[in-house]
Amino acid sequence: MEFKLEAHRIVSISLGKIYNSRVQRGGIKLHKNLLVSLVLRSARQVYLSDPCPGLYLAGPAGSPAMPPPPQQQQQQPGEPAAGPPAGWGEPPPPPPARAAWPEPEPQPERPAAPVTGAGDAPRGGEVEAAEAAWRRVEGAREAAEGGAAGPAGGSDGFPEGPRGTRRQCGCPPGAEDRPGAPGACPRLACCCAPRPAEDEPPAPPAVGPRKRGAAGVGGGPAGGPASGSSPLKKPRRNSEEQPGGAAAAAAEEEEMETGNVANLISIFGSSFSGLLRKSPGGGREEAEGEESGAEAAEPGQICCDKPVLRDMNPWSTAIVAF
Amino acid sequence: MAGAGGGGCPAGGNDLQWCFSQVKGAIDEDVAEADIISTVEFNYSGDLLATGDKGGRVVIFQREQENKGRPHSRGEYNVYSTFQSHEPEFDYLKSLEIEEKINKIRWLPQQNAAHFLLSTNDKTIKLWKISERDKRAEGYNLKDEDGRLRDPFRITALRVPILKPMDLMVEASPRRIFANAHTYHINSISVNSDHETYLSADDLRINLWHLEITDRSFNIVDIKPVNMEELTEVITAAEFHPHQCNVFVYSSSKGTIRLCDMRSSALCDRHAKFFEEPEDPSSRSFFSEIISSISDVKFSHSGRYMMTRDYLSVKVWDLNMESRPVETHQVHEYLRSKLCSLYENDCIFDKFECCWSGSDSAIMTGSYNNFFRMFDRNTRRDVTLEASRENSKPRASLKPRKVCTGGKRKKDEISVDSLDFNKKILHTAWHPAENIIAVAATNNLYIFQDKLN
Repeated sequence: MEFKLEAHRIVSISLGKIYNSRVQRGGIKLHKNLLVSLVLRSARQVYLSDPCPGLYLAGPAGSPAMPPPPQQQQQQPGEPAAGPPAGWGEPPPPPPARAAWPEPEPQPERPAAPVTGAGDAPRGGEVEAAEAAWRRVEGAREAAEGGAAGPAGGSDGFPEGPRGTRRQCGCPPGAEDRPGAPGACPRLACCCAPRPAEDEPPAPPAVGPRKRGAAGVGGGPAGGPASGSSPLKKPRRNSEEQPGGAAAAAAEEEEMETGNVANLISIFGSSFSGLLRKSPGGGREEAEGEESGAEAAEPGQICCDKPVLRDMNPWSTAIVAF
Repeated sequence: MAGAGGGGCPAGGNDLQWCFSQVKGAIDEDVAEADIISTVEFNYSGDLLATGDKGGRVVIFQREQENKGRPHSRGEYNVYSTFQSHEPEFDYLKSLEIEEKINKIRWLPQQNAAHFLLSTNDKTIKLWKISERDKRAEGYNLKDEDGRLRDPFRITALRVPILKPMDLMVEASPRRIFANAHTYHINSISVNSDHETYLSADDLRINLWHLEITDRSFNIVDIKPVNMEELTEVITAAEFHPHQCNVFVYSSSKGTIRLCDMRSSALCDRHAKFFEEPEDPSSRSFFSEIISSISDVKFSHSGRYMMTRDYLSVKVWDLNMESRPVETHQVHEYLRSKLCSLYENDCIFDKFECCWSGSDSAIMTGSYNNFFRMFDRNTRRDVTLEASRENSKPRASLKPRKVCTGGKRKKDEISVDSLDFNKKILHTAWHPAENIIAVAATNNLYIFQDKLN
């Protein structure tokens, strides 16, 4: 169990690093991001291979089994550990084989330590972006509170369902700064909806579906193996803001399902859309080729697909996408 | 041992008594990011010492000739030339900022009165000529002393201009600019022993250049996978063999080194030798891959060995044995239990360099808390020294430092938790012939000498 916690923490930190790397001067550093992706993969493997059924926290209020540290990290004030409406963090009807995150992570409300568990790593400038993202998440979440089928509402299909809707969402990134502004996103399923919805299938082959998504190409949706799982996730997803691309991270995270991670991915996602437009030096050119043209083009648009990232080897993909 | 070397290459690092010689750089606690030194390199004779910083500037120090008049100068290094090598650039097509930070400087062997060096940032390599001017022509016919043109009709007599001495002026001019050959970030450059070609390496490719030709280069290594999603390793450092102009090595993020022979084929994707030490499964952790990534590779002066630096150790390899290194030296093994914290604060990604002494009998590399480590290959002893302002009285001996890993901390020891991870020594250089070392500590350059030197 400690390994799981450790793995969880490392995943959070790693995601934060990947996120921050996009704002660093000089462009994305391929080497560093590759190493971070390897760590992510190791952590994920550990997490998956260390089944602790007792850790499942299905209750909205968070179950007593929830390990304290992640909680603290969340600094969750009132939001109950995400119940079903909250979307994120809730383990699906737990198949025993599925490693589940210890707790349905409550929404990271506060910017305080949004990015990483303990981590001070991604600090500084990102905090503001993170704050904005957090607020967005919150806003979306509350908006979605009641709407269980958020993503479902907008979705046209599965893997792309949420994505599709996201694309249309006009939510300006970071525009939302009032928590609980239902109007923040016109549609529940909008970009703000957590992408991870498409995540893993309840079944042990959780890994498979992750690949969903167009490993790379445009639409990805077509190929999504995860389509089967989408409907399962949808209801939960709606509350989370999840811009399209966050891709690998998102895909990976879905399994983990902690609010912390979810939020990271949210941040990720919006960054990704920006990322995708540019062509950071480093591993991107080829990735660009794979990208579908679906990505949002306007600077303000946070909806974006990043089909590339959905691969099973998502971290490499994520790096590539970067 | 210390006396054995005489005027030649003294032996190793431990029987010597290292003393403070000089420190260059601001004392100010507030360090400007642009002043952080990013590379240090002696030239072939050791008379010139070049540093590059994050602001894209190159500062060259020259060793003063020892003279009787100033016995204490003992060959001090003073500023010889300063110039802006690279500027920040913006790649408009990719919306990408290109940092001006100097990643590497490599000197060319001196062939005439001028000095040449290569400096590189992430994308562009430049060949700089540093020349002295200590004479000036006076008495031109067609222009005045202040440069204004004279009216030809007013000239009634001709004179021959004469050369007059002037204050020494050192000029740096860019002679070649090698650009647009790298998609990824350049991490290494290395001048070939033929003195005509050099290589530049980025994360996925290595290019071979001719010093005279800037509009094309040959790609000699390309490890970019067709599908970038399958990327598993990148190139981290590359260097030409010091004597065999057809041989070079490159290290990877997976902890492997490949030696390539350019005679075998135009594209050296297939290595001639492959150096890898099998991983110890008992020490596996989340961060095993990161700490096995090689941050620097350097051939010995003899060309028989090479040294690699990964996060926790330095390894010496015999080129004739690929299965494992002949020596492994732990730099700061006490950090192994702290890898998670070091991952969080990004220190685990620090790229430490390493260097050989002139005689290859000792090796040196940096650590945290402004510590640096020296390993004597003959006596098998090692020492930890510190570059600090407190210990900067002229010719003050450096006291060995010790890190206490647990249990009782003895006096003068420092505990692992007290180490300052912001004070890291990534770049060090050893004079090619004498026991003089240059150690870059953030924005300061320390020069230490052997007491007997």
